[in-house]
Amino acid sequence: MAAAMKFAKSHEWVRPEDNGLVTIGISAYAVEALTDLVFMQLPEVGRRVKAGESLGEIESVKAVSDVYAPVSGEVVEVNTALPGALETLGRDPYGSGWLVRVRPDDLAELASLLDQPAYDALVKSQPH
Amino acid sequence: MTLHVWWDEPADGPRNMAADELLAAEAFDRGTMCMRIYGWQPTTVSLGGFQRGAGARAESAIAGIPLVRRPSGGGAIVHGSDLTYAAAVPKTHPWGGRPQLLYDALHEAMRRTLGDRGVTTALWRPIEEPASPVSGEAFFCFDRRSSGDLVVLDPGSADGRGHKVMGSAQRRLAATVLQHGSLLLHRNPDVPTAASHPGLHDLAGGGFSAAAVRPLVAAWIAAVAGAIGMEIVEEPGRFKDEESVSAKAREFASERWTWRR
Repeated sequence: MAAAMKFAKSHEWVRPEDNGLVTIGISAYAVEALTDLVFMQLPEVGRRVKAGESLGEIESVKAVSDVYAPVSGEVVEVNTALPGALETLGRDPYGSGWLVRVRPDDLAELASLLDQPAYDALVKSQPH
Repeated sequence: MTLHVWWDEPADGPRNMAADELLAAEAFDRGTMCMRIYGWQPTTVSLGGFQRGAGARAESAIAGIPLVRRPSGGGAIVHGSDLTYAAAVPKTHPWGGRPQLLYDALHEAMRRTLGDRGVTTALWRPIEEPASPVSGEAFFCFDRRSSGDLVVLDPGSADGRGHKVMGSAQRRLAATVLQHGSLLLHRNPDVPTAASHPGLHDLAGGGFSAAAVRPLVAAWIAAVAGAIGMEIVEEPGRFKDEESVSAKAREFASERWTWRR
């Protein structure tokens, strides 16, 4: 995992890339907690999102869950292969299981997100 | 901890879904578990949040019945011979973590409640993890099986599926979990067999008349609360007034929402 990866309390991760974009996905904890994913709906390229807004939805056998944008910006790339290969999320949530790439309005928004130790502590505190 | 409970009058699909979305906000505001017990008027089909509209259109057994799409997952339910609940908890609640926690908590409480009335049920589990093949994508909720579904086991059946009498599904929001669930009381005589599944009355005898439902549900809520020491607060009147529900109900009644997929 890249050292610069940050996490939202709602279990999305965001990783700054060298080209100024950020890559967004959902954490291994979230994938494992949802279990048996059956469907995913991702946004279209060009959509503008605000931090905290729903970016897409994931359905598991029992639940529909929103995926929230951890930063504001414009969606510039979508992992279109993912909805047809949801097992990728379980196998490689921080790599090929990425969801979207966003051109962020302000990278300073990342400062309000959790770093890896803080996120690990959050996960440990979750009801099991 | 408290458990706030509203017993609501039957309402149409969009109003029920709107009230449940408001219930999730209520649970967040109060920082505790909230439940709404309600019925449907008229008979309504609720579709799972991601079910295909084309699938509903192709089901001749439900032709002409009003349809609403739930925000929660799962399969379609023909409401009218069931008891429906919505339960909402903040994600900080002991049952707000993994989806199975709230699912099992409410179903296990019903299993014990029915057991006290002489009805043996079980929480269905897949034979192999992850999901066994029988958990597939049948159109109707009561034709599906997923871990924790409440079933009346059929000793004469070799496949172990039993008869599902209670199923639930969730919408997981940023800070709260909203769970919808349905306890099937009896076969619905108003729809063809394909959409009419046997309920408690059909499977366990005549002890589940309409008059017996409220005491059953009250005992269930007591079992839910007792499981983790919650104090029950029965709220008077309707959960929300008509004005509060109407604006949100229009969203759930819209073509855009109903046929979004």
